[in-house]
Amino acid sequence: METFKANDANRDELIMQQQREIEKEISDSTPLVSDQLPLTCLKAEYNGDDIFTAKIQDLAKRYKYMRRTRPDGNCFFRAFAYSYLEYLTCNSHAYQEFLRLAEGSKDKLIELGFPSFTLEDFHETFMEVVKRVCPKSSAGASEIVQTELHKVFNEQGYSDYVVVYLRLITSGQLQEDANFYQNFIEGSFTIEEFRHQEVEPMYKESDHIHIIALCTALSAGVRVEYLDRGEGGSVKTHDFPEGTDPKVFLIYRPGHYDILYPI
Amino acid sequence: MLKLFKKSKEKIPKSEIITEPKEPKTPPVSKCGKPLLLDNSRWERRLHKELMSLIKEPPPGVTVDTESVQQNLSEWKINIKGFEGTLYEGEDFQLLFKFNNKYPFDSPEVTFIGNNIPVHPHVYSNGHICLSILTEDWSPALSVQSVCLSIASMLSSCREKKRPPDNTLYVKTCNKNPKKTKWWYHDDSV
Repeated sequence: METFKANDANRDELIMQQQREIEKEISDSTPLVSDQLPLTCLKAEYNGDDIFTAKIQDLAKRYKYMRRTRPDGNCFFRAFAYSYLEYLTCNSHAYQEFLRLAEGSKDKLIELGFPSFTLEDFHETFMEVVKRVCPKSSAGASEIVQTELHKVFNEQGYSDYVVVYLRLITSGQLQEDANFYQNFIEGSFTIEEFRHQEVEPMYKESDHIHIIALCTALSAGVRVEYLDRGEGGSVKTHDFPEGTDPKVFLIYRPGHYDILYPI
Repeated sequence: MLKLFKKSKEKIPKSEIITEPKEPKTPPVSKCGKPLLLDNSRWERRLHKELMSLIKEPPPGVTVDTESVQQNLSEWKINIKGFEGTLYEGEDFQLLFKFNNKYPFDSPEVTFIGNNIPVHPHVYSNGHICLSILTEDWSPALSVQSVCLSIASMLSSCREKKRPPDNTLYVKTCNKNPKKTKWWYHDDSV
């Protein structure tokens, strides 16, 4: 009996150790957000796979570059934030509107019942990041701003704060329109449970419901290209919310989001 | 209410050396080679802020042992009273919170300590607590205060004082750090 228990305990330890090793390997080998890479770099991952190769060719007609994000469960939020802020760095008017919305978002979340206390830190850092990528009109300035964006997003201290804040905004949106979002939740989860278990904790992966809620809260359209083994030879495209004029372009492969750049 | 425990052994396994390295002397450097300036002071700032708030506006029945915190900001002792009208009325408990420099991204390690460990289906006799927000459902938006409230509510809703069914085995085999237990959360209704 003793032996059995010890084995059981050891197995747990081994599982957790292996998990930590995998996480470490990922964080050592993949930056939080990569440099721009040619879209065709995807082909190497699916060498000899006809279905994927055909779909990547299809995708390459519309997109030239991509950025990889670290597969840590936060990839949707990180990719979204990076891509949307990058769009804003070149669009002064949209930037100013977003700035106002972001400034006001804290009070809104507090009204919804989030503790101001922990919220403040995340909001403060989020605003700091947003302000650091303010569009500038002088020549060559947009490159400088984009370099700054890339730098900030690869500093975990900033990058993860941005992720947390977007998770809270998403959670707030789910709460605000709980009756609507309840329809999307499978099983016996309440919205409340879903927010606390699947949205607010770090590293929990995002689903359509997260995307819809975040896009709605920030009035930002997202196009997601789905690259999977499904039939048809072309990738499936979804816009969130439907009928939107997307500013953020993402590629989804089961379990992971990266950033795309349209031609 | 079944928490399946499972755990590891008493001795510190070698793997811990890998997983929880001592803080390096040189500042950590991000992937693109820029120093991570923020991280060090930030977790302390956040803890200070939480401490101030907990001292100024403590939730009912909760008090921080400020002496313990003065000695070491990363370990807090917190006293918590069993509420009137619950099975724990009149009892006093003490919680130990341990934080690392990844707080609030890493959850605090929280255990009951002292002579009086509450007899509760989610509390092991060694003080370990089976509560999902302490591990996989932890969010950086939670706080010491929200953890205390969850624990108080867990105690208050208890209808029968008893230990978890697997208490003996768990206590014998578990790691000292409850976060090293791979918990299975079943029923939140107790």
